[in-house]
Amino acid sequence: MSVLQVVLLGGVVLLCWLGVIGMWMMKEPMQALHYLSLPATAGAILLTIAVLTSQGLRQPFWKVLLIASILLASNSVVTHATGRAFRTKMLGHWEPLDGDPMEIAREEEKK
Amino acid sequence: MNIWLAAAGCVSAALIPCADMCLRGTAERRLVGLEMTSLIVTISLVLFTIGFGRLPLMDLPLALALMSFGGGLVFARFLGKHL
Repeated sequence: MSVLQVVLLGGVVLLCWLGVIGMWMMKEPMQALHYLSLPATAGAILLTIAVLTSQGLRQPFWKVLLIASILLASNSVVTHATGRAFRTKMLGHWEPLDGDPMEIAREEEKK
Repeated sequence: MNIWLAAAGCVSAALIPCADMCLRGTAERRLVGLEMTSLIVTISLVLFTIGFGRLPLMDLPLALALMSFGGGLVFARFLGKHL
């Protein structure tokens, strides 16, 4: 057991708990959705480095690298799709329209 | 008991708030809880696999990561269109 592994695994545990507690404390589901990224991005990267220090460049490392890549890529897609579904359920559409409670930057206004 | 199993236990304990999210509240909150649960279980399975030294079982978290991607998308589409 090396100090580096302890630090890396401690980081994984901390990020997972931060994500879960943040998600749990948020009142709005759209806010809670943002906390998925903590374990899915930084947590997965730290876990991959920890496995690299433990196993070296052997098959488990490549599998964990693949898992981390899937988590990194899929998290953004699933989070976007989920947020879009929330908005569709709330408003009946997901596109930004006039009168929506959000700021819309239009192309002609930028010029 | 090694550091990997200790980390796996600590990460698995985070499933309790996830279960609370999945079992109570609106459908939107439950869906967020489900997505976080799949992430936490994937990371836990990796840690348990290394901790117990059963390295061929690394296919389990790999399969779960792939399946939870599709499952999350299906639930999100269902929530947006039908619920």
